[in-house]
Amino acid sequence: MQNESREDRIHPLKPKSGTIIMRFVHYTYPNRQPLPAFRHSPWAGLESEIDRLFQNTLGDLAGVAATRRVPVDLYEDKDNTYVRAELPGVNREDINVELADGSLNLSATRKSKTGDREENVSLNRTVSVPDAAVQPEKISAAYENGVLTVTLPKREEARPRKVTIAIK
Amino acid sequence: MSFITSLVPSFNRPAAGVSAPADDRDLGLIVKPAFELSETSECFALTVNLPGVTRDGLEFQADAETLTLTGRRAWKKPDAWTALHRETDDAAFRLALSHDNAVNLDKIQADLRDGILRVVLPKAESIKPRKITVG
Repeated sequence: MQNESREDRIHPLKPKSGTIIMRFVHYTYPNRQPLPAFRHSPWAGLESEIDRLFQNTLGDLAGVAATRRVPVDLYEDKDNTYVRAELPGVNREDINVELADGSLNLSATRKSKTGDREENVSLNRTVSVPDAAVQPEKISAAYENGVLTVTLPKREEARPRKVTIAIK
Repeated sequence: MSFITSLVPSFNRPAAGVSAPADDRDLGLIVKPAFELSETSECFALTVNLPGVTRDGLEFQADAETLTLTGRRAWKKPDAWTALHRETDDAAFRLALSHDNAVNLDKIQADLRDGILRVVLPKAESIKPRKITVG
């Protein structure tokens, strides 16, 4: 019995012999709003239509828990450089941020528990940060709504400077 | 025909995009979140990745045919920040799932934590397996 429900979890859309196929099919709307001129084009919605067809036969091969992608954004302002990484579903204590040799390493373990089954997925991402430009002892990080924000304060020398030069 | 529709459920369904809700226009760009759907004999379980979405930005609607989920990202880039490199999207998330009245709408439970939404969708009594005693 236990084995059967596991099987279900892995192949949610696989019909079991003798039972009605799971009547839970997915569709979504076009990812992008087309340009106004193309809004009524015959191809509008094609993408999601194709998506839908494959969804029915293949199911979701890459489950949520198994997603290993860690998309990263880099921002800067006058005083700091910011790294924002999407790491949904991770506990704060399972996130590790390290700066070494000019590269900032973000690693995390996503622990998901469904029933008696435990799954650990490790996520890893390295961003290169010029060593000379940051103050390593002042780096701070915050985790909110599944997004990690690392603040890297710039060194005085790396900040933009405004110099007025007198003309003789 | 009913045999075919039971094998290929998509035959039952309207073409995608036909019934797109009107509020799509207000949302601007939309992306489909990563999600996972699993089934036990009692319920369906839906897990959706919604990084950056807070409880206030999340809208979840269920009716006899569809479950619609819209999530807006809470974070806005401060004006002083300049983007050097982007891999994420500012677009709102939307996921629409259709079902054949398979869910007991009164007993849906949803929990959003750290950017992951977990929804338990108990099956409607009519589709639960049952044992028939032979007299």
